Parts: sequence; structure tokens; C-alpha cells
Amino acid sequence: MSEKVLSIENLVVHYELEAETVHAVNGISLSIGKEETLGLVGETGAGKTTAALSIMRLIQSPPGAIKSGAVVLNGRDVTGLPIRRMEAIRGKEVAMIFQDPMTSLDPVFTVGDQIAESIALHEKLSKADAMKRAEEILELVGIPRSRALEYPHQFSGGMKQRVVIAIALSCNPSLLIADEPTTALDVTIQAQVLELMKELKNKYQTAMLMITHDLGVVSEICDNVAVMYAGRIVEVGSAKDIFLHTAHPYTEGLFNSLPNINARVESLKPIPGLMPNPAELPPGCAFAPRCSYAGERCHTSKPVPRELESGHIVECLAYDDPSFQIVRRWGNG
Amino acid sequence: MIRFVIRRILFLFPVIIGATLLVYFILDLAPGDAVFALGGDQMSEEELIALRHELGLDRPFIIRYLSYMQGLFTGDLGVSLISGRSVLETYFQRLPMTLRLAFSATMVSVLLSLPLGIYSAVRKGSIQDNIAMLFSMLGLSMPNFWFGLILIIVFSLHLGWFPSSGYTGPISLVLPAFAVGTGLTANLTRMTRSSMLDVLGQDYLRTVRAKGVSERAVVNRHALKNALIPIITIIGTQLSIALGGSILTESVFAIPGVGRLMMDSINQRDAPMILGCVVLTTILTSIILLVVDLLYAMVDPRIKSQYVRRGKTS
Repeated sequence: MSEKVLSIENLVVHYELEAETVHAVNGISLSIGKEETLGLVGETGAGKTTAALSIMRLIQSPPGAIKSGAVVLNGRDVTGLPIRRMEAIRGKEVAMIFQDPMTSLDPVFTVGDQIAESIALHEKLSKADAMKRAEEILELVGIPRSRALEYPHQFSGGMKQRVVIAIALSCNPSLLIADEPTTALDVTIQAQVLELMKELKNKYQTAMLMITHDLGVVSEICDNVAVMYAGRIVEVGSAKDIFLHTAHPYTEGLFNSLPNINARVESLKPIPGLMPNPAELPPGCAFAPRCSYAGERCHTSKPVPRELESGHIVECLAYDDPSFQIVRRWGNG
Repeated sequence: MIRFVIRRILFLFPVIIGATLLVYFILDLAPGDAVFALGGDQMSEEELIALRHELGLDRPFIIRYLSYMQGLFTGDLGVSLISGRSVLETYFQRLPMTLRLAFSATMVSVLLSLPLGIYSAVRKGSIQDNIAMLFSMLGLSMPNFWFGLILIIVFSLHLGWFPSSGYTGPISLVLPAFAVGTGLTANLTRMTRSSMLDVLGQDYLRTVRAKGVSERAVVNRHALKNALIPIITIIGTQLSIALGGSILTESVFAIPGVGRLMMDSINQRDAPMILGCVVLTTILTSIILLVVDLLYAMVDPRIKSQYVRRGKTS
């Protein structure tokens, strides 16, 4: 195994509201090696963003709180670090790209200023030198350096996301977290931005955590995939494991709900039902109420992770029966 | 940008015409005139009529108004009916006092409100926030002149730290500035707090935090600059109101400012003086509001690009 840039161990994050406690992340473990890209896949509300923000220690607190577990970044647990130390790590060792580029840039500062701010802070450069570096990085993401003096409102959505990427990569972080970086963009721009991220990631040898609900993006860019459901990672493995040897019924459901290119007249097969309210999770497997394979036991006892093959881990009680196999509808995705 | 400024200055003319017409009309409707104030009971009916004729008060309303406007646009605001002195001269004699009071009151209010409002927003829901809001509520509900009287009783009468009335130097302005400033503080603190709360919830601050910027810089550099527009608006409005002169506060502290001049002129039905005060205050207010608009453009590049685009020049 290569050296780990990030390893999360048994992370539990709750939002403690007055009326209820939202169990957003319920004991997830995952790790990312150098230059590796891990895709974190799941529906809206599965806890993906909460998990990512916890790595940066950016969850709104209160009400959010890391209840237990460890987030080990380049060999040190950051969950208990004083905030000053954490500020030195943010942007320098781990950077983040957010979902909506329209709202993620400060409207009253020039894009050059916004990129240079991070550089000046972490690289201890003078303002002028930082600005020079910012212009270089801007060029790297495909924006002419002359536009460094312009403000975010003078850029289109795709261009803004390029600026956000420039900010994230400005200090050459060892880990880049991308929280649905293409979701808010036009389809034509999506491919461009994704291509740019792939290119820069290879150039800078950055490890990446790619959060998405788009399996196309996953197949495009990820080495490994973790599937998240109701605050748990229900299946994790190499992209090949997940795509070709799908093990968890939920992962299967995700694939099945994609349009089938071989049977274009067929209607979509969405997963029936909704994700459980994270403030009132069922006692057994959280997916059981929507699972077509669910037996009686699934509703009462929690499944534990089980390694099917080396590195391919699934959290499903059905695999207690060694002959269990799920049915994949082929040709999807 | 320059075109924008010129347009705003041209816009001043209809505003002045509207304001003077309204005031002229109201003065005309009010019973009694300057002749009564001047001559009082000693004059005979014939003498009153003669005096009215001499001052031009017996001409029809529209003629009087037009001749006044003619004078106004040639820079002649006329002379006081009572003292016979130039209106312009009298006004500018009183203005510095009001300016001093207005600016020092605004200063007090800004220096108190911004830190208080920012702190309250950052610590929303805390005991400190609640206490700050309670005090701003008190400040809002206390009449300025009443608070001024309390200040006089405590700090002049009992402690003897500040003079109670008149103007003997900057120290005389401390109590009035606080009396007026406290009322402004209440409003401005609340506006700062709510504007900051709005901005503190924005996504772009998360991007800033993710860069490793310290929380202090997130609040003071990024959030405050974004929250500034409503704050500047309130400061501008407060300043322009204060420039009209605070009649009550100037009376309580016996400060010879524009407010007092205005009140005395009203009591004496000194129409040219009243009108002069109105016109000059209107111009002053418009200038302040123009400055506020230009400040918007400095703070927010989106507004600036609007001005530039509409004006086609920069």
C-alpha cells in the first residue's frame, strides 16, 4: 500500500439541533493514497458534503460537531487541532472546490486578489509576488492573465469554476476535495472543467476526493469509489469493482436508475422510496426499507463491513449467504 | 461615471423646485406674516399695509414665487424680513456649528455601531448579542432631547465634566454629539448586525475559510466589505438628516446652529429665511446622497459597472 494522504477512521458527525439530532455521518472510514482519486458517490443528503467539510473542519458549529473518529491528513489527526493550526493547513495541504461557482467567489474582490490571498498567506510572499503567481495560475486554468483585475460578476459560470479551481490549486495542496464541481455547470462546460481538473491533478500529482452523484464523472476520473448512503459507506472498491462487480443493492439501484442505452424505449427504473430522515434512522440497515433483497433481519440488525475481495468492501447482510448475487441490468451508464 | 455625476446634479433642479414650491405654499397658507412679527400691535392698519407693500408681500402668490425663484437661480436668496441681513450669509454663519454637531454625532454612532453590530452578528444568539440589542432598543426608543437633558443633569450638573449649554469650543459638542449619536447608534447597530448576518451565511465566505484565512480576516475583510452597502446607506441618511439641524437638541444645548435658525425664522414668519434654509439643506442633502451613491460604486464593483455602462464613460 502506498503512503496515505488522507485516512478517515470511523468518523461520526452530528448536527445537534434543538428539536432533534441529525445523524449526518455515522462512522465512515476511507483512505486516499498519493495521486489517487477517490469518488464519493451518493444521493443528495447522504452526508457526502458533511464528510468533506469535516476533513477541512469547516462544518458549521454549532450545530455541527465531530462526535468521534479521526481524520488523518498527511499523518496527523486534524480533528482535535487548535483552529490556528487548522487555518495553516486549509488551502495549503487540503483545498476544496465547491458545488456552485456562482456563489463561491467573493463579489467585491478581483479574482486575482482572491487567488493571491491564499498564496500570500501560505507561501509568505509579498502582495505583488503573490499577485504574479496568481496570474500564472489563472493562465494555467485557461484564463488570460489580464483578467486577474476583473471581478467575479464579469465571468461566466464555467470561468468562475476555473477561478475556484485556481484558488484551490494555488498552493499545490496534497489533497483536493471537489464537492460536485460540475453539477451547477452546463453539460458542455462540465466536460471541459472535468478535463481541466484531470489534467491539473496529474500535473501536480494531487490526491483527490471527488464528491458526486454522477456515475459518468466517476468512471471518467476515479481510481476508487466509495458509495455513501444515509451517513454510511455501503460499498467501497476500485472503480472496476464497483462498475463491473457491483455488490451492494443500493449501488445496483444507482446503476439501474440510469438510462439504458441498449433499450432506449425502456422507462427509467428509479430506486423506490426516499432516503430515511437522518434524524430518525431505522434500527437495522438504513437501506432495508427500499431494498428488494431485504430480509427480516435487515430491518432489525445493522450490517457490518465485509471484504469480498481485496479492497472491495460491502456493508450488506445478504452476503451472510455465500451464494447471494445481485442482479445488474447491463448496458447502463 | 462623470456623466452619472452630472446627471445627478441636474436632477437637483426639479428637487429644489418641488421643495421650494411646497414650502412657499405652506407658508402662504399659514396665518399671520412677517409684518405682524415685525410691527406687532403698535402699527396701525395703514402702516401694516404700507409695510407689506414695501416688502412685496401684497403681490399674488405666483408672482412672489416666480420672482423668488428668479433670485434663487441667480444665487440671490434674498434678505431676512426681520434682520434685513442676507439669507445666504446668515445660513453659512450658522452652518459650521451644525456641521460640527452632525459629523461628531455620526462619528460617535459609527464608532459605536460597527463594532457592536459586527460582534452581535458573529455571536448571534449569545448573551452579549441580546444585551447589545436591548441597548439599541433603548437607544431607539429614547427621544434625543430627553437623553440630552439626562446627560446634562449627570455630566454637567453633578459631575461638572462638560458645559451644559452654549458653544465654548469642541468640548461643548461632546454631550450633544452623544445625545444625537446614541439615537443613530441604535439604528445603525441593528442594520450592521442584520446586514452582517446576511453576509455571514453566504457561500463565498466558506471559500475564503477554505483558503485558510483566519476567522478575524473573514469577518473584518470579506464579510464587512460585502455588508457595507446598507450600512453606508443608513450613515448617509443619518448624516443628511443631521445636517438639517437638530432643532430640539440645538435648543436643549443652546447651540446656535441651522436648526435653531430655522425654528426662530418659523416663529417670526421670516419666509425668505425659512426658504433659504430649506433650499440650502436640500442641496446639502443631495450632495451627501450623491457621495453615498459614489461610495456604493467604490465598495461594490457590480454597481460601478452599472454606472459606467449606463454612462458609457468611466
